[in-house]
Amino acid sequence: MRRWLCLLVVLPAWMAAIQSRAGEPLVVVPEKDQVDITTDFAGTEFKAVGAIEGAGDLIIKVVGPQQEVTLSRQIKLGPFWMGGDRVRVAGAPSVLLLYATRPIASLLSRADQEKHGLLLEGATVRIEPQLQAHAAEDWRKAFFRLKEKRGDYREDDRAIKMFGKRLFIATLPLPSDIQVGTFSVETLLVRSGRVVGRDVARFRVRLAGLERWVWNAAHDHAWAFGVLFTLAAMALGVLLNAIPYRRARHARP
Amino acid sequence: MEIFLPIAHMDVNIALIASYGALVGFLSGLVGVGGGFLITPLLIFTGVPPIVAVSSGAAQIAGTASGASYLQWRHGNIDFKMALLLAIGSWAGGACGVLAARLLVREGHFGNVVMFLYVVLLGIIGAGMLIESLRAVVRRAAPAAAAARSATAPGSPPRTERLRWQTDFPVSGVRLPAAAPLALGGAAGILTSLMGVGGGFIMVPTMLYLLRMPTRIVVGTSTFQLLFTTAAVSVMQAGINHSVDPLLAGILILGSVFGTRLGAWLGARLPGEKLRLILALVVVAVAVKMTLALVIAPSEPYEMSIEVH
Repeated sequence: MRRWLCLLVVLPAWMAAIQSRAGEPLVVVPEKDQVDITTDFAGTEFKAVGAIEGAGDLIIKVVGPQQEVTLSRQIKLGPFWMGGDRVRVAGAPSVLLLYATRPIASLLSRADQEKHGLLLEGATVRIEPQLQAHAAEDWRKAFFRLKEKRGDYREDDRAIKMFGKRLFIATLPLPSDIQVGTFSVETLLVRSGRVVGRDVARFRVRLAGLERWVWNAAHDHAWAFGVLFTLAAMALGVLLNAIPYRRARHARP
Repeated sequence: MEIFLPIAHMDVNIALIASYGALVGFLSGLVGVGGGFLITPLLIFTGVPPIVAVSSGAAQIAGTASGASYLQWRHGNIDFKMALLLAIGSWAGGACGVLAARLLVREGHFGNVVMFLYVVLLGIIGAGMLIESLRAVVRRAAPAAAAARSATAPGSPPRTERLRWQTDFPVSGVRLPAAAPLALGGAAGILTSLMGVGGGFIMVPTMLYLLRMPTRIVVGTSTFQLLFTTAAVSVMQAGINHSVDPLLAGILILGSVFGTRLGAWLGARLPGEKLRLILALVVVAVAVKMTLALVIAPSEPYEMSIEVH
């Protein structure tokens, strides 16, 4: 309910923004350009409204900041499963979310999907250390499989709602473990198998308030933070146990 | 109620995390093991990145162990002299272990070998303790004569009388050469730093069966000793890996308080052999769990860990 009221408030501003760019085939206006992660952050929704000129289908691609990932695998040695080798995967976006009004494969040819980066397994990733092609391919496949399993890379054809023939609202869920950094939201207008309009917006995700303070303390003054926090943890442990103990002793006749 | 953890970079349920803390605190108060073996997998299962789980777990155990040590101290259960020697030994051993690990890691499957040894060691220790404590419990249940020394574990005393620096440990009521706790602490320290899991499992049976200290003093002394190991790990993890999450550790400590008190209260009312039985069951359970992890084929052999930046 509150969400809709919010929408009602920002809607005129949105409409004005869209009006100012009348004549373009595709205009997208994001609800905000910054997402703050505060103590009560449990994921959020990113909204964007837009208008299209003429009929067509929409594809929205959300790409998160790059992320370093370590992949490891278990190998079988005799009857035992043990930790095997590991690699680093660099250069891959933390999230790749594809939203469309219809399944993307039915809108664009595979070549066009590849050209616009609309394949979930299309991102180029670097496997470190460098391996032979077939070995690297195993890791690459595992990487995309795990990313899709986590829901970081996914396709969804229900997130965009059309209002009449011109207006649309896209509601894009963002998970709570979202990477900090700049996200790009690229919207494509597709008509009879061809991309006829394109608009890019960006938003930034950052830590705010206590979260930011703790993060900075833990990184900028790591050793001082470690010593002070460990001492504080020990003091807390003693304090919490000592108070009830004393009270119990005093209560005794 | 949910809270966002700044270092783990995820939101968690406060009540769930506090209940993990309570569970670990209970074990800590009851049998004097840290519970790192329990808290780390629980947190990882919840989705906390492994390095954050290990580091914040260490910070939590430092907090819990200081609280538990306070209670044990009030009950007169800590042999400070013994703890000091064990701690010195385990620090030296820990430093050697870190160096050894660094050299051995280059050999490839080093981690697996240590893991394997550890499971075997835990299995043998656990099985031995289980048999001994079950016998003691049964013997006591029978009205027969000898429940004579339920406070200390049975077994022949170690032949150390001829060694030098014989030292009295009045709290534990034993006389040993000072080198014995130093060496045993050193061995536990090496294992701890090689395995990355707590020394409690090695230290407690060692004090029980080799140093032949009374069960209650073993629990108290182990808890106290644990404080130094885990505090050092916590500081180093925070300094080197930036991986201690203060909110996560704080919630765990708050939760652990109730568990610790319950554990210490129960521990003070249980006879020594029953305490040893509980500890034996815990050790066996951990050994079984680790064995299963080694034997059962994983549904997904690949694992992904995301670096939190």
